[in-house]
Amino acid sequence: MASSVEHQTGGHGHHAGMWVFPRKENIAPDVAGKTFSMPSGYKLALGIAFILAVLGVVGFFIRATSDGFGSPGPWGYYAGIFSFVFMVTGAAPLVACAFRFTKSHWRRPLSRVSELFAIMGVVNIFLFIPLLLAMPSIKNPEVQGTDLEVRRTLWFEVPIGAPYTWDILCFVGLALCSMAILWLSAVPDMAQARATATGFRRSLYNGLSGWWYGTKRQWNHQKAGLALLGAFYFMLLIFVQFIFITEFAMSMVPFWKDSVLPPMYTVMSFQSALSMILIVMFIMRRWGGYEGYIGKAPFWSASKILLGLTLLWTYHLFAFFVTYWYGRLEVEQNILKYVFVQPYLIVFLANMLFSFLVPFALLIWNPLRRSAWGPPLAGLAALVGAFLFNMRTFAAAFNTGNHYEFSLSHVPAAVWPDIWDIFIILGGLGIAALVYLLSAKLLPLISIWEVKEGTLYQKMGTLMKGEYLVLAKPE
Amino acid sequence: MARRPILGLFDDANAAADAGDGLRRAGIPETDVDFLTDTPYPEGAFGEREEPHRLYIFPFIGALLGLTSGILLTSMTQVAYPIVTGGKPILSIPPMAVVCYEGTMLGAILFTVLGIIFESRLPKLKAGLYDTRITEGYVGVLVNTEEAQHNTVEGVFGQTGAVDVKRE
Amino acid sequence: MQEGRVLSTREVNRDLLRSILDTPRWFWPVVTVLGLILLIAAIAVGIMVNRGLGVTGLNRPVAWGFFITNFVFWIGISHAGVMLSAILRLAKAEWRRPATRAAEVLTLFSLMTAMVMPIVHTGRPWRILYWVFPYDFARGIWPNIRTPLVWDPSAILTYLTSSTLFVAIALIPDFAVLRDHTTGIAHRVYSVLAMGWEGNARQWKLQIVAGVLLSALILPVFVSVHSIVSWDFGMAVAVKSWHSTVFAPYFVVGAVHSGVSAVAFALILLRWCYGWQDYIRHEHIDALGRLLIVVATGWFYFLVMEILFGMYGREADELMVRQTQFTYWPYNFWFILFVITTYFIPVALWLSRAWRRNLWIMSIACISVNVGMWLERFLIIVPGLINKQLFTFVWADYRPSIFEYIIIGSTFALVTMLMLLFSRVFPLVPLYDVKEGDVLKTQVQIGRRTVPATFRED
Repeated sequence: MASSVEHQTGGHGHHAGMWVFPRKENIAPDVAGKTFSMPSGYKLALGIAFILAVLGVVGFFIRATSDGFGSPGPWGYYAGIFSFVFMVTGAAPLVACAFRFTKSHWRRPLSRVSELFAIMGVVNIFLFIPLLLAMPSIKNPEVQGTDLEVRRTLWFEVPIGAPYTWDILCFVGLALCSMAILWLSAVPDMAQARATATGFRRSLYNGLSGWWYGTKRQWNHQKAGLALLGAFYFMLLIFVQFIFITEFAMSMVPFWKDSVLPPMYTVMSFQSALSMILIVMFIMRRWGGYEGYIGKAPFWSASKILLGLTLLWTYHLFAFFVTYWYGRLEVEQNILKYVFVQPYLIVFLANMLFSFLVPFALLIWNPLRRSAWGPPLAGLAALVGAFLFNMRTFAAAFNTGNHYEFSLSHVPAAVWPDIWDIFIILGGLGIAALVYLLSAKLLPLISIWEVKEGTLYQKMGTLMKGEYLVLAKPE
Repeated sequence: MARRPILGLFDDANAAADAGDGLRRAGIPETDVDFLTDTPYPEGAFGEREEPHRLYIFPFIGALLGLTSGILLTSMTQVAYPIVTGGKPILSIPPMAVVCYEGTMLGAILFTVLGIIFESRLPKLKAGLYDTRITEGYVGVLVNTEEAQHNTVEGVFGQTGAVDVKRE
Repeated sequence: MQEGRVLSTREVNRDLLRSILDTPRWFWPVVTVLGLILLIAAIAVGIMVNRGLGVTGLNRPVAWGFFITNFVFWIGISHAGVMLSAILRLAKAEWRRPATRAAEVLTLFSLMTAMVMPIVHTGRPWRILYWVFPYDFARGIWPNIRTPLVWDPSAILTYLTSSTLFVAIALIPDFAVLRDHTTGIAHRVYSVLAMGWEGNARQWKLQIVAGVLLSALILPVFVSVHSIVSWDFGMAVAVKSWHSTVFAPYFVVGAVHSGVSAVAFALILLRWCYGWQDYIRHEHIDALGRLLIVVATGWFYFLVMEILFGMYGREADELMVRQTQFTYWPYNFWFILFVITTYFIPVALWLSRAWRRNLWIMSIACISVNVGMWLERFLIIVPGLINKQLFTFVWADYRPSIFEYIIIGSTFALVTMLMLLFSRVFPLVPLYDVKEGDVLKTQVQIGRRTVPATFRED
């Protein structure tokens, strides 16, 4: 779908189409038009996402009724898909915050794409609850008064409310913070659309942004607020990821004491969130009519970061591997065999292929990174890798057998997904897609005020005989 | 007729760029004109052609050689002195990976540096036409062309405000 | 973010070559004092080699003490150069320009100094050759590459070679400036070093591509070096608290924290020594301060992971090490001092923009970080060793001797002296980089406000 609005592009030679300079006065009506319309392709995507979501719900109910929540084993793949969805959607809003913090102009078209994932954060709370039910209790029901009385968990002496209350609070806090970021960022756009929007959008926009008039003071407060909330979200996210991966993966496997696992999970979440955003932007640019807002520059700039994150993830994995391999204690070898080289070997190898080898092999090439399709393709591979990582890790963690043992004395067999697990996995992906597609009709996919602000600070300029991008930085 | 260099010296980069335009209009091929500066200007600022280079091949060759040396060094030393330590296999891949990694990177970097020097056509043993004022901020427009063209070149230099013109 | 005025090339040359073309009056007296300190340290090392390691406080089981602590500390400092140069170059941060070379050179000298430490520590330095280099064909004895102690030299030598070449390549255009501004023997030396550089379009293009390419190649090396240093500890199962999977990234982030702080402090010193107010400006120190808040917080996260998962296992011998760190005198005092000086004092100071721009306060914050980071390494090494562990049957406390204090102290003198001598012959602020920044500077008019801007190729 071609854009109906005239835009300028900048760059020549291998920089052709690198930058786009939308006309400031056209941005708001054009983006509003795209947000309020519902093309047939979009309807089809919504339909597919809905069907997948229904499959997921069916799978979930059958799992719950046939296996119940008595033991964690049957819920391994549920945990895996939840972790994948949480990994991507939890970290996604941070991408906007991070590049706003570094004052990168190229981030402007991706800000809202990233922040809209906040809405999925609310849904994540509900998807998380079954996991709490399936988790084995910290106290060993069969043994009293010895060292084996409690499992190894990060709650040590089991404070009041642990783990359920604290876990839920973590996810609620995270969702609230990301929703606050989305709201504060979207306020100027909603305020602008108050007059033109109709129906439920009009009342929503009025309710959420009625106080906004765009005074200098309001802009200052909004920017400071976004910076503060961004910093807070960053710290909160890392904390919640640490709690989640430790609670639902590490502490389920006896003696798995792995201090690099939380940072590794966090790095992978950044890698997969950035990948997801690049894919959404590619779709918007290719089929959504947003080519006037999204040049190649965001892909080019983000690709270097994606490459860095890909290497960083592999580095963290090696740090874990080599430490355990060197230890050569029996339990360490059992854990290595269990999570890497024996029952789930094929998944592990595929995980490495997609999380490291494919993105790395693609992203080291300049022409590919400079294209609009190269980085999203690498991103797609990284997402497949992250998916496999979560499936492997949680299927293994939930099926270790006796979670109260002090060390892993044998290598348990692999548990592969059954039909209901596949339903649940498809459902998880479907729900996330459905929520995002609906969110994108609620609020514009382009942060209008940020792109408008960008037009002030970026233009093509002439230096002697050449034409180059001029980037202004106000502070 | 022999090709000889002629150097026009400008105290303003814009004037030097204009001289470049003038030379093109006067029919001097782009390949004969070079701009000598004390700082990198963005590519194309003088209207000059893009300089092709093959620097990117060097690190790949270096990495390959480095990796090979790493593998040979680590595997041969282990096999040549086969003593079991810490219950690890004689040919232990993880520690080999560490040393091979360093070898690969060292090879890549060494070859990149060689590539930079080679592709920059350094070291230049025979000094060409040059003026020390270039490192004081002057821009030199160096034209390497037939001697018969030197008057045309000098004319262009004069029109565009060269502060000095030097011949070999 | 640009606050400085655009200077003419002549002014840039005059200011930045001042350290080479004129010798400040304080220069030789300071170098002499530093030389004397090094002489005393050399005598101390001589006595130590002659009489054996018994003159130090090292014992069984505390075989690693001040020397190894100092080794890790200087390796840490050496991480600043690449961090600033490579990452900021790749990120196209304009404010990097005056800071890159000083940072890179600090890398070189601190890395060299770090290398001295394990050599001194062995007590029989000449024997290092046997276990590092595969050269003993006659007896068929080869290095054991399964020990991380052999990975160390491979990583450090790779890093040292790469960093040296990184600096050398970027120095070529500046050698040409020096060649054009000197006479006699200096002119001849700089002519050879400049290799006939004339600054044509091709040479500049290669120089710029080289900067980016070498940055991208050297970054993975930089990460590997401190990771491998951390694995000197992490691969050991026998010492509880060392065998932690997070050690590699934890050490790297810590190294960046201490290294960038050290660079900020070195820049403040250089600005003061050579009057480079127009080049090393408050905006640069401010930017480093902001970067450091992020780095420090990242580091703090890894610290928490390290401690928390140390206790997570609930193993008695590991808990004992933690108890030593947190509760036993004097380690508890050092531990509190370490956390406060590494994180809470500096970050509190960096949070205020005005304080980030106050050079005195920045200096205090940066020194504080490095005091803390030195203590961090000490607290990782010594409490782990003094406790009863598997397979250790004697145990003792550790009290460093005067020899260790002298040798440790002298390493600071060594780095300072090497930096000063370098600045006497090579420019510590890259001339062409600063000039390029000035060429690319422009402005954008937005309403009544003139906003500083930069031309960018991509």
